[in-house]
Amino acid sequence: MLASARLRVIRRRLLQALPVLVLATLVVFGLLKLMPGDIAITLAGENATDQRIAEIREQYGLNRPFLVQYGSWLANAFQGDLSKSLATGEPVATSIARAFPNTLLIVVLAMAVALGLGIPLGLLAASRPDGLRDRLLTSAASLGIAVPSFWLAMILVAWLALDFGWFPATGAVPLKDSIPKALHHAILPALALAAGGVAEVSRQLRSSLVEILASPPVRTLRAKGLSASVILCKHGLKNAGVNLLTVATLLFNRMLAATVVVEAVFAIPGMGNLIVNAALTRDLPVVQGVVFVMVLVVITVNLLADLLYTVLDPRIR
Amino acid sequence: MTDADRPASAPLAWATRRDLMALAGASVGALAVAGPAWAQPAPKRGGVLKVSANANPSSLDPATGGAGSDHTFLWTIYDTLVEWDYDTLKTKPGLAAFNFPDPRTLVLDLRPGISFHDGSPLDAAAVKFNLDRGRQDARSNIKADLSSVASVDVSGPLQVTVKLLRPDTALPAILSDRAGMMVSPKAVQALGKDHDRKPVGAGPWRFVSWADNEKIVVSRADNYWRKDRGFVDGIEFSIIPELATGLRAVVAGQGDFAYQVPPRLMPLIDKAKDLQKVTGPTLYCLQLYFNLAKKPLDNLKVRQAINFALDRPSFVKASLAGVGEPAYMNLPKSHWAYDETLVKLYPHNLEMARKLLAEAGFKDGIELTVGSYTDQDSVRRSEIVGEQLRKVGIRLKFITGTIPEISGQFFGNEKKFDMLLSAWTGRPDPSMTYSLMYAKDAYFNAGRVELSKELTELLAESRAAERIEGRKLIFWRLQRIVMEQALVAPLAFQYELVAASQKVKGYKANLLGKPKYEFISLQG
Repeated sequence: MLASARLRVIRRRLLQALPVLVLATLVVFGLLKLMPGDIAITLAGENATDQRIAEIREQYGLNRPFLVQYGSWLANAFQGDLSKSLATGEPVATSIARAFPNTLLIVVLAMAVALGLGIPLGLLAASRPDGLRDRLLTSAASLGIAVPSFWLAMILVAWLALDFGWFPATGAVPLKDSIPKALHHAILPALALAAGGVAEVSRQLRSSLVEILASPPVRTLRAKGLSASVILCKHGLKNAGVNLLTVATLLFNRMLAATVVVEAVFAIPGMGNLIVNAALTRDLPVVQGVVFVMVLVVITVNLLADLLYTVLDPRIR
Repeated sequence: MTDADRPASAPLAWATRRDLMALAGASVGALAVAGPAWAQPAPKRGGVLKVSANANPSSLDPATGGAGSDHTFLWTIYDTLVEWDYDTLKTKPGLAAFNFPDPRTLVLDLRPGISFHDGSPLDAAAVKFNLDRGRQDARSNIKADLSSVASVDVSGPLQVTVKLLRPDTALPAILSDRAGMMVSPKAVQALGKDHDRKPVGAGPWRFVSWADNEKIVVSRADNYWRKDRGFVDGIEFSIIPELATGLRAVVAGQGDFAYQVPPRLMPLIDKAKDLQKVTGPTLYCLQLYFNLAKKPLDNLKVRQAINFALDRPSFVKASLAGVGEPAYMNLPKSHWAYDETLVKLYPHNLEMARKLLAEAGFKDGIELTVGSYTDQDSVRRSEIVGEQLRKVGIRLKFITGTIPEISGQFFGNEKKFDMLLSAWTGRPDPSMTYSLMYAKDAYFNAGRVELSKELTELLAESRAAERIEGRKLIFWRLQRIVMEQALVAPLAFQYELVAASQKVKGYKANLLGKPKYEFISLQG
């Protein structure tokens, strides 16, 4: 029963993935083509002549019709060939394989911080709704949501990296080279990224818990003499799990996008920097490759979330 | 004495063709001991220099790349046939001594005993391979640079004779640029296109790795032919496009060297502990490009009015924090072809600007569209220029975007905007600068119009004159036409600004404004 429900979820998600992938990459491809500018001019070099620029367009197939270019890219992508960067010739898959772990590390760390701090704070706030502690936490959460991640990132750099020298100001170290160094480099960007997440998780959890704690079943539990902490942590948290999972999934996907800004501040060679640099130079294969992989990641995360729903909420089965 | 031994402040002795021949001949023996007068005592070998680089290279093969920002990487891997003096860009022997036995023949005499990093010899056959590849390869971006070459012949094991279609005295300077960077024929033949990313040259450092938009690593080439250069064991370039972030890496001690730092960030360098700054003039000229095929900029008086309305010294102070010099032509004052008489051509004169505008039929002022970029420095420059021209009734409407987007719209087929507020990054020989901007079909001549017959003739003459004195006079005439016709409105030369840790010794800025690391050592 459970297995077949999960299989249905997987099948449905996979069927949805295909049109989403095609649509997302087609829209991005179209937007890039609509943008003014021409990579042929960049590729032709500093002393470019009109003739050389025309040669470049011919060599790279940039003068082919829009749909032919897109179709050719898509066909290759579905066969696992994400092509090569027009600007540098590096295989796009190589660039992504190097950049993605840097981005993923920051997002995973930021998620850990957001959940690790957000859940206890949400529990604390919900334990005495509208009390002083709740109000203080609400104010702090509003601040956390309001503070832009790039501003916080710069403050963290100025303070903890430049003034105190506790953390590196820029760059990233791959996990495979050194785990401690990789974490050391990722902490500040993760903190900058997590601030809004902590606030969001705590606020959402508090709201769910307040509602759950006011429900008749919880009143019965209290009448039975269960302690407040058991009610909150065991029964409250379990019932708020589905909401929390929704929040966490949305947060993860949003953080993936938000890394564009944080990576720029910390000069982290991740997916955000990769797509920004590629978009600025009209390096279509790189932009398309990053979009393709990011869409796949988001679809996978959503699929995992759907599967977890079936575990957390028996009604979904 | 070679140019390399000349103190920076020594007056420039203009070399004739004979001088060049003598210099070239003498230099074959002197090449190995050439070293800069400014080099500091006993450079220490060792250490890894960590550089914040502001752009990912387009390619590490000099013939197939195209970005001006590539050179700082390329010079680590490749030596050039011809070199130039850091202060004046006057050419001097590099891998080869050079001379013109007649105006249509250039002879290159290679220094013996040089080999590429893969062990293959850098001989006449290798030079012929490189020059032919530059001229003929379908992927070559330097065909235009070598367009005057008719044939390349091996005239001895270490001698190459280049026959020219027309006299071209700019060729030595061209061979100090991409076209003169020698790649290993063996590597190119073995790797094909992959040589772009796995380059093999004969420079002080050999290529190790390149991760796009992340890092480039080079390490010392043990077989490098000059013992007085290439002191650090390796160089690690961290690619950080955002200039303030690149500087931050150096301030935090993660890096040793950040170049092309915007002047607005100078206070950060001054405030940081243990940092030194190095500045020097460059050819990087901030200017207003005109589309001369469009009204009203086809009117000389309007262009002249713009030039009179600009307050260049104030522009230098306000936009470059004083780290630059006012530009009155396309060459800075330390360049060998600079003409000081042009400084007086367009003094800041609002009355004259208004008068010229009125004479042109724009008594009530005009509105012009200007392409500009979205980065902080460009926005600041736009505001200053807009305010300066507003005082004489020229109202500027700025359209901003990224560099490729806006430049493409102005110089490409779209022909948008009346003007472009941008920069000219300079070339080793002034004839390249003037040809690329003012020749009839030049890409950077946005209107693609022939600006004057005399100018076209002078462009050809500038490459035919044998003596450097003669060339200088031709450039003076050429520059005067450009400025009298107000074909451009130069604003300022932005000086190089480098932030380096105190342990970096021996660095000096060059006039091209692109760092070379050959004399850097790390002390302490």
